[in-house]
Amino acid sequence: MDKRRLIARINWPGTAVLAFIGLAWEAAVRSGLLDYEYLPAPSVIAVGWGELARQGILGPDIAHTLISVAIGWAAAMVLGISLGFLLGLSATARRYSLASIEVLRPMPGVAFAPVGLLLFGFSLKTEMVVTILPVLWPVLVNTMGGVTGVHQRLHDVGRTFRLGRRDTILRIILPAAMPPIVVGARISLGLALVLAVVAEMVGNPEGLGYGIVREQQALRPDLMFAYIVTVGLIGIVLNAGMLALAEALLPSFRQLRGDP
Amino acid sequence: MRSTGPWQQYFKLSVAALPSARGLLPLVVLLGVWQLLQTDKSPYFPPPSDWWNGLMLLSKSGRLYPALSATTMTLLLGLVLAIAVGTGVGLFVGVFPRLRRAIGPLLEFLRAIPPPAIVPVAILFLGYDERMKLTVVVLAAIWPILLNTSSAAERVHPLLLDVARSFRLSAVDRMRLIILPSVVPAILLGIRVALPVAIVVTLLVEILTSIEGIGALMIGAQRNFQSPQVYGLLVLIGLFGLLVNSIFAVFEAILLRRWPPKTQSENF
Amino acid sequence: MGSAEKRSDLSERAASPAFECRLVTVEFLHKFSRKRIIEDISFLVRSGEFLTIVGPSGTGKTTLLRTMGGLTPAASGSVLVHGKKLEGPPEDVVIVFQDYSNALLQWRTVAANVAFGIERNLDRKEIEQRVHDALNLVGLEKNAEDYPWQLSGGMQQRVQIARALALRPAVMLMDEPFAALDAMTKASMQDELLRVRDRTGTSFVFITHDIEEAVYLGDRIAVLKGSPGRIEQIFDIGLPAPRDQLSTRQLPKFLEYRYAVHQAIGRGHG
Repeated sequence: MDKRRLIARINWPGTAVLAFIGLAWEAAVRSGLLDYEYLPAPSVIAVGWGELARQGILGPDIAHTLISVAIGWAAAMVLGISLGFLLGLSATARRYSLASIEVLRPMPGVAFAPVGLLLFGFSLKTEMVVTILPVLWPVLVNTMGGVTGVHQRLHDVGRTFRLGRRDTILRIILPAAMPPIVVGARISLGLALVLAVVAEMVGNPEGLGYGIVREQQALRPDLMFAYIVTVGLIGIVLNAGMLALAEALLPSFRQLRGDP
Repeated sequence: MRSTGPWQQYFKLSVAALPSARGLLPLVVLLGVWQLLQTDKSPYFPPPSDWWNGLMLLSKSGRLYPALSATTMTLLLGLVLAIAVGTGVGLFVGVFPRLRRAIGPLLEFLRAIPPPAIVPVAILFLGYDERMKLTVVVLAAIWPILLNTSSAAERVHPLLLDVARSFRLSAVDRMRLIILPSVVPAILLGIRVALPVAIVVTLLVEILTSIEGIGALMIGAQRNFQSPQVYGLLVLIGLFGLLVNSIFAVFEAILLRRWPPKTQSENF
Repeated sequence: MGSAEKRSDLSERAASPAFECRLVTVEFLHKFSRKRIIEDISFLVRSGEFLTIVGPSGTGKTTLLRTMGGLTPAASGSVLVHGKKLEGPPEDVVIVFQDYSNALLQWRTVAANVAFGIERNLDRKEIEQRVHDALNLVGLEKNAEDYPWQLSGGMQQRVQIARALALRPAVMLMDEPFAALDAMTKASMQDELLRVRDRTGTSFVFITHDIEEAVYLGDRIAVLKGSPGRIEQIFDIGLPAPRDQLSTRQLPKFLEYRYAVHQAIGRGHG
C-alpha cells in the first residue's frame, strides 16, 4: 500500500488519546495522585507481564487456554455446520427442532460450570462442558440461515443443469452459504475464548482465566492486569486472523468486514 | 370501536411468531429417555424427577426465592442503569463525531476485553458485596448499548438533519424530536445484546463469590454434591433466560411497531 | 429599497419580490481545493409566481435551492427574501426534498408529520385545523393515522408537501419532487400543485430536469447550464391558465417553448 495513504489511514487523534491516557495514568500513579492500593501504573503491569513470561508461567497458561479454545471451537464447527446443513436442507427437521434450539440458546455457559465440576472435577472436560453449547449456536444458526437463504433462483439453476443432489449441495449451496457460515465461525471463535476464560475462572483452575482469579486473590493487581491484557490481545489476534482467513477464502465478499 | 383491541393483536402476532411446538420434541425425548434410564439413581446423572424434588427442597428451606429475587433485582437494576447511562453517553458521543474518532481506539481496546475478565478487577477494587456485583453488571451491559447508540446517532440521515435546520429546530429539539427517535431501534438492539451479557456476568459473580443469588445456590449445591439441585437450578436458569428474552421480544415488538419492518433487529 | 423599511410588513411582502438572488456564487471546500458550483446567479421570483429551474445534472440546481433555503451559505453575492438579506433558513420559506423517504419522520403518523413544522408555535386547535386543511389540499385526509412507510412513494411525497403547506409559507422550494414517481402519479401531482398555488397564492421555485414538466408548470423558466452553473436564459411562459395535461401539452406554443428550452440547454435531453 502507498506509504502516504497508509499514514493517512492511521487514526492520529485516536492514537494520541490512547498514548495520552497511558502516560497520564503512569504519571498519576508515580506522583501519588492516584494512590489506590490496587491500581498499578502501566509500567508496573508491563514489568509484571515480563516477569510471568520469563518465569515460564504465562506461556503454558496461554497454551492451555488456546487448546481449550481450539477444541471447543473445532467441535462447535463440526457439529454446527453439519447440523446446520441438515436443518437448512430439511424443513421437517426444522419443524421438529427449532423450538428446542430457541429454548437452549439463552442458556448462559457459566451456568454449566457446576455441572461440569460435578461430572469431571477439575479438568479440561469441565471447560468443554461450559464452552460447547454457547459456541455451537452461532455456527449452527448461521449455517442454517445461510442454507435456507440460498435464493430460489440458484436452486433453479441447479435443476436447469440437471445437477444431482450431492452436486447441488457441493457446487451451489455450499459456496452460496459460505459468507454467513464464516461470520458464524468468527463469532464462535470470540465466544470460545470468552467461555474458556470463564470456565477457567470458576471451573478448571488452569490457564489464563485461572491466572486472573489467582492473582486477584493473591492481591497482585499488576499480574492480574497483565493476564487481562493478554486475554484482550489474544482476542484481537484471533479475530484479525479469522478476518484475514475469511478474506483469503472469499475475496469477493468484503462485507465480512462488518462487525456483528 | 374495534372488537379486537391492540393487545389482542399483539398476543396473536406473538403466538404466530413462535416456532412450532413440535420442535420441543428433542428436548422432551431427551428428558424422557434420561428419566427411564436412570432408575438406579446415579449420583452423576440423576433423573429429571429428582431435579424437581431437589428444587422443592430448596424452596421449602426458604433459600430459593431470596436467591431468585436477588439475581433478578441485580439484573433489572443493572440493566436500567446501563440503559440510562449508555444511551446518554452514546448520544453525546454520537453527536460529536470528532469525539468519537478521538476516543474510538480506546473504546475498541476496552471492548476487546471480555466482560467476565472484569469481574476479578471489580472484586479487588470493590470487595465482596452487592454494590460490586451491581457495578460490574452495569459495566458489562453498558458497552453494547453505548456503542450501538453512538453509532446510530452518528448515522442519522443527513437529510433529516437538513430538515431540522430548515425548520429552525433548537439543538435540544433536534435531539428530542429527531435524533433520539431515530436511534431507538439501535438502542433496542444494544439492549438485546446486553441482556445475555448481563445474565452471564451476574451468575459469574455469584458463582465466584457466593454472593446471594441463583449462581451462589448452584455452586453451593455442587460443593455439597447435591446433583439433583444442580440440574434443577440449571433448568431454572434456562427458563429464567427464556422468560427474560421473551418479555424483551414482546416489549421490542410493541415499541417498534411504528418503525418500518426493515429496522427490526437482525441476527448477527 | 430604503423606503420599504417604513412600510408595514404585509405591504412590504406584496411589494418586494419573494426572492431575489444577486450575483450569488457558491463554492465547496474540499480538502485543499475550492470548487465553484454555481456562479453569478441573479434572478427574481415574484410573489405568487411559479418559477421552474431546469438544467442537466451536475449544474448545481440542488445547491442553488439549498442556498435559497438557507442551508448552504453563499461564498459571495446575496440572497434576499422579501427584501431582507438571508441569514440561515428564513421563516416563510419551506423546502420539499426529492428523497421523501428520508425527509419524513418515519416513526410518526402522517398527521404528526404534517404537524411537525407548526407544533411548537401554535395551540392545539389551530394545529389540528391546519393539519386537516393541509391533508385535504393534498388528498390524504383518510391516511392521517397511517405511517409513511405504509404508503406509496407518491403519497409520501404528498405528506411532505402537506407538511410544507401547514406552515402557510410564502415560498415553497421544491427539489425535483416528482423525479422518483411514475408518469401517471407525476401528472396528477403536477396538477395538484397548480391547484394549491391557485388556492393559496404561494410562490414556487421548482427544480426539475424534465423539460416538459418545467414548461407545463412554470410561469417562467430559468435555464441553468455549465460547470460552474450559470443562468443561461430565462423564459417567460405565456401559456393559458388553467393548464391541462392533454390540451396544454398539445398547443403549438408548448412545443415551441419546449424546443427553445432544449436549445438553451444545448444537449440531447429528455
